[in-house]
Amino acid sequence: MKKHLLTLACALAALATVARAAEQRTLTIGVVAKSQGNPVFQAARVGAEDAAKELGAKLKMTIKIDWRTPNEEDAQKQAQAIEQLVLTGAEGISVSCSDANKLTDAINKAVDSGVPVATFDSDAPASKRFVTYGVDDIECGKQTMEELAKIMGGKGIVAVLAGNQNAPNLQKRVQGVKEAAKKYPGITIRDTYYHKETPQDAAAKVEQVMQANPDITGWAMIGGWPLFTVNALKWQPGTVKCVAVDALPAQLAYIRSGHVPVLLAQQCYEWGHRTVELLVEKIVLKKNPPAVKEISALIPVTKDNVDAFGKNWEKWLPK
Amino acid sequence: MNDTLKRLFAKLGPFLGLILVISLFSLPAEMREVFPTYGNFRFVFIQTVIVAIGALGMTLIIVSGGIDLSVGSSIALTSVVGAQLIQRGYGPVAVLAFSILSGGTIGLLNGTAIAGLRMIPFIITLGGMAILRGIAFVATRGQSVGGFPASFRDLVRMEIGDGLSFIPLATMVIVTVVGWIFLSRLAAGRRVYAIGGNELAARFSGIRVERVKLGVYVISGLTAGIAALMALGYYGSASSGDASGYELNVIAAAVVGGASLTGGRGSALGVVLGALILQMISSGIDILGIEQSYSQIIIGSVVIAAVVLDNFNTWLAKRRLTAKAH
Repeated sequence: MKKHLLTLACALAALATVARAAEQRTLTIGVVAKSQGNPVFQAARVGAEDAAKELGAKLKMTIKIDWRTPNEEDAQKQAQAIEQLVLTGAEGISVSCSDANKLTDAINKAVDSGVPVATFDSDAPASKRFVTYGVDDIECGKQTMEELAKIMGGKGIVAVLAGNQNAPNLQKRVQGVKEAAKKYPGITIRDTYYHKETPQDAAAKVEQVMQANPDITGWAMIGGWPLFTVNALKWQPGTVKCVAVDALPAQLAYIRSGHVPVLLAQQCYEWGHRTVELLVEKIVLKKNPPAVKEISALIPVTKDNVDAFGKNWEKWLPK
Repeated sequence: MNDTLKRLFAKLGPFLGLILVISLFSLPAEMREVFPTYGNFRFVFIQTVIVAIGALGMTLIIVSGGIDLSVGSSIALTSVVGAQLIQRGYGPVAVLAFSILSGGTIGLLNGTAIAGLRMIPFIITLGGMAILRGIAFVATRGQSVGGFPASFRDLVRMEIGDGLSFIPLATMVIVTVVGWIFLSRLAAGRRVYAIGGNELAARFSGIRVERVKLGVYVISGLTAGIAALMALGYYGSASSGDASGYELNVIAAAVVGGASLTGGRGSALGVVLGALILQMISSGIDILGIEQSYSQIIIGSVVIAAVVLDNFNTWLAKRRLTAKAH
């Protein structure tokens, strides 16, 4: 009788263990990008959600993405979002900082509460984030200027389109553009033009600058903002040269029309995908990344590879 | 319902609204563990401080029948002034004094243009909105000013109990009490109501309308300065882009708290409750996982509902008066 009871107890214990294993753990990761309207962050969101599905299946757990991105750029709202994510039980946070100074305290508070934070696209270097993923911004600026100088034959007047003046990543890109321009004595930088990071504001800024400075022969766009709209560049293809960062579907039309010979694609889908991967590795597998900075390369998109590159967007954009 | 009950109901309106919002968001089972908790209320109170302090100053302007659209830009510029002073090594007292005085000076300029030159508040403060943000941009060259010694930040973020930042809350309470005393206990406050209720009648009864108007803009500037200091201390940096769209939040808080955009009505406690209601809604929406885009629609609808309700009450009151007269 004792033997039977022991067997029954063992069977019940084994059953309970199996049942516990079957009851999937849910892991919530908060993602705070700069703004909802920018397609690069929509791609990052899809990347984060794809990573959550893939890793969830692999690790047999439910990974939920809690998207807390402000409608328009607002560092204060981002800081609030981080605080609220900690409050609502997110176990990891991925953020692209609109203002590193303003987000440092919020990130540190989250980390001190046991919630690891990864940054993407725009870093908060003085914070306790365990990893940052994105391009090397100074190199990005340099590469933009070098590609432009190549197309312009090393001479001409260049305008720099620079987006949000408070974003530290964009400030570094401007610095990179200026540093690279020093190598080309025939190139003069007319000015750096800031604007609200919406396609309409950026397109209006380009038009306004061209009206006031018709002698500009090249544009170094350290973000692709105006090219997210149709017919943003009012000149004949080839008359004013342009190199822009990012290669979103709307931008690819400018390659095809010949207005923009080179786009430098940031891996914005990977911003979400890779940071979620890094967070899950840290939280679940207790594995730290090999380095605090993980650099993603820029992919040059030209007339030769535009169609092949364009196919990626079928996967990257929200359905 | 007799008049006393009606008056009591009107006074308790924002408070009942707050209880209703808290109750509604606490109903869903998935919200009960997060929304009605100390942690969430602590978060909401802190987020309310900056809006509530600015809204208290704005309420005086609204009660007097005016409006200030430059309050967000005023906060941005005042924060920048404070941040640059901290960076240059000035002590907390100097930073405090200069920042609040900067806000007061902005209010004085607005008030002088509106009361002294008899300009329309909407136009003057709309222009001021662009000018002040422009000055903040030029002063910072578009850079975020931060990374300064932590002493000021630590002071503002100083916590008591379980993570409660005491200074912002205490400041909000003090400003509210001062605002309440001013509006309901002092003759100066009565003059503000009188001007908002009927400017011509107030003028004929001997009230120096221009001086009172100048005063409310200066007070509003001072409260903007205090709100800027709280934001600077809590977030640890300032930039020309700070408090974008803040004017809408402040006006919304005043309206939801019972202030009438036509002037003559509003209270200090009501406006704080209005700010709390909006922040509670915003927090509830976030916890429910509703996207920010919907959050704006919901909050906008609440503000419109408050204005419609206010207009309805005004219409009812007028009807009652007409009936009594007959």
